[in-house]
Amino acid sequence: MNIPMFTLLVGIPLVSSPVVYLFGRLTTRAQVLTRQGWIVRLLALLAVVATWFPFINLWLEFQARGRRMFFNIESIWLQLDGISFLLAAMVLTLGTLAILFSGRYMAGDFGEEKYYAMLLAMIGLMIGLGCANDLFNLWVWFEAMAVSSYLLVAFYREQPGSLEAGMKYVVQSAVGSALALLGIALVLAQTGTLDMDQIRLMVGTMDLNKAGLLAAGALFFIGFGVKVAMVPLHTWLPDAHSQAPSGISAMLSGVVIEAGLVAMLRALSTLTGFALSWGWLLLAFGALNMLYGNLLALQQSQVKRMLAFSSLSHIGYILMGLGIALVSGQPAGAQGAAFHLFTHMLMKGLAFLAVGAVMYALFHEQGIHRPLVAHDLNGISTRYPWVALSLSIALLALGGLPPLAGFMSKWQIFVAGFQSGNGWLMGFVVFAAVNSVISLAYYAPLVNRMYRRVTATSVKKGSASISWTMQLPLLLMALAVVVIGLFPSLMNWLTEPAGAALMSIFR
Amino acid sequence: MTLFNVLIVTVACLLGVGLYGLLITRNLIKIVVVLQLLVKSVVLAFVVAGKVSGHPGIGESVAATIIVADTIVAVVALALAVQVRIRFGTLDIPKISSLRG
Repeated sequence: MNIPMFTLLVGIPLVSSPVVYLFGRLTTRAQVLTRQGWIVRLLALLAVVATWFPFINLWLEFQARGRRMFFNIESIWLQLDGISFLLAAMVLTLGTLAILFSGRYMAGDFGEEKYYAMLLAMIGLMIGLGCANDLFNLWVWFEAMAVSSYLLVAFYREQPGSLEAGMKYVVQSAVGSALALLGIALVLAQTGTLDMDQIRLMVGTMDLNKAGLLAAGALFFIGFGVKVAMVPLHTWLPDAHSQAPSGISAMLSGVVIEAGLVAMLRALSTLTGFALSWGWLLLAFGALNMLYGNLLALQQSQVKRMLAFSSLSHIGYILMGLGIALVSGQPAGAQGAAFHLFTHMLMKGLAFLAVGAVMYALFHEQGIHRPLVAHDLNGISTRYPWVALSLSIALLALGGLPPLAGFMSKWQIFVAGFQSGNGWLMGFVVFAAVNSVISLAYYAPLVNRMYRRVTATSVKKGSASISWTMQLPLLLMALAVVVIGLFPSLMNWLTEPAGAALMSIFR
Repeated sequence: MTLFNVLIVTVACLLGVGLYGLLITRNLIKIVVVLQLLVKSVVLAFVVAGKVSGHPGIGESVAATIIVADTIVAVVALALAVQVRIRFGTLDIPKISSLRG
């Protein structure tokens, strides 16, 4: 039987999801294979590693052809362009490392099999989301991804905080996706098609009702904007990201909100002729996100909550990069935004996983469920040197300290803004640079705590060791953050096609 | 008023009721009901949009898919509401908010 590579790329995670669940039921509930939880973990890891194979194959084909490719699963046509590859690469990188990390972190938790099943489903759905070439198809992937993430946020259902966060997330996302759908209905009413290329063609050539198209664009902004956590629509994010299991916090912050952004950009790009308006809007939301995220992060005492607010400000930099690209018409800003998407995935994923490792050692092993506050980190470098090192690298990179990856990607966005020669864009860049400095005010004290304070009593009491399967993903990501920082051109293979694809859909 | 106008007005009314309901509702189960109202207005909007554009097939097939997808969301939301009722002993939203900042 000859299965096309593309079907494998989306299919392996989606098909393995129920398989993993069934094996989990056999090992944990039905008592057929008692105490064999490792089978589930290994299967999940194998599934996500196997997905790399079609990804690499398709990438080589993409390189050889040099333009976007179309595929079909039955009658559904999907496309693969630079943006699809960027999202797929991010999802697979973080997905693989998060599953490896979760092996010990989630071991023995009630419903472990559901965790892996939903996580694998989410990975497959996000890869599919990046490939949609039809507005409604895009929405279906988006909604399915959202449903799997609702369940993961509320995974610790015996804890009131998780339930509350999950409920907030469900209600806000559901309203958002209903509004996005209304936007799609408006586009359908005017053009009579849902295929993005055809819509682009019709909007560009035919004399359609401008007000209707603008209303559709506004609905896309608000609807998908809930998932992207653009500032007035962000209220679910800090709760959901801080209450989810750490592997999921990393996925949510590193790829799920970015997948929402991809959905928003794809939907907005169909309404050609308004690119300039979308550009200014993105810049305004970006500036708002940065300032608000930073100011709120400064006030937080819980570490995961602080990281969640820092995600808001980093989404701000990405929106600004996109805005610069749309306003100036130069691909440099889009490429910078694509680069920052990737580095943010690495840095924020690493930060959440490292914090998760500390929580695991200090609390979970003792059966305690409480949030990690800043002073729990005091002096952990003596007990957990590698975790402290990787968390420090992540925090400093998030703060934009050269020569780490976070600095390089921000720098690329800033340079794009200055090269455009537009005074307003330069003003936005200066504002972003100031915000980058403000953000160090909450990242740097944590590094100071880990290395220079007297060891906290919680660290002395909870002397559980952190296994290598948890430390390996941390060290790999820390290494990647340093190496990408030193040689940023290493990522050009991924960011250049993504930037070019973004510019080509927003012609 | 033609049938078409009636449909447009119904979409707008359902949407208005849904959004207003979200603002004033404090019971989790009722919020799920209000969400359903909101999505039903969108379903109707798709049927109308398909009709207006001369491709009724697209609108109707999309509407059917939305009903399925939306039911899944409603099931998840209700399952969470059940858990909330078990852990908090109430479905009243102001009484279950503890996460701040």
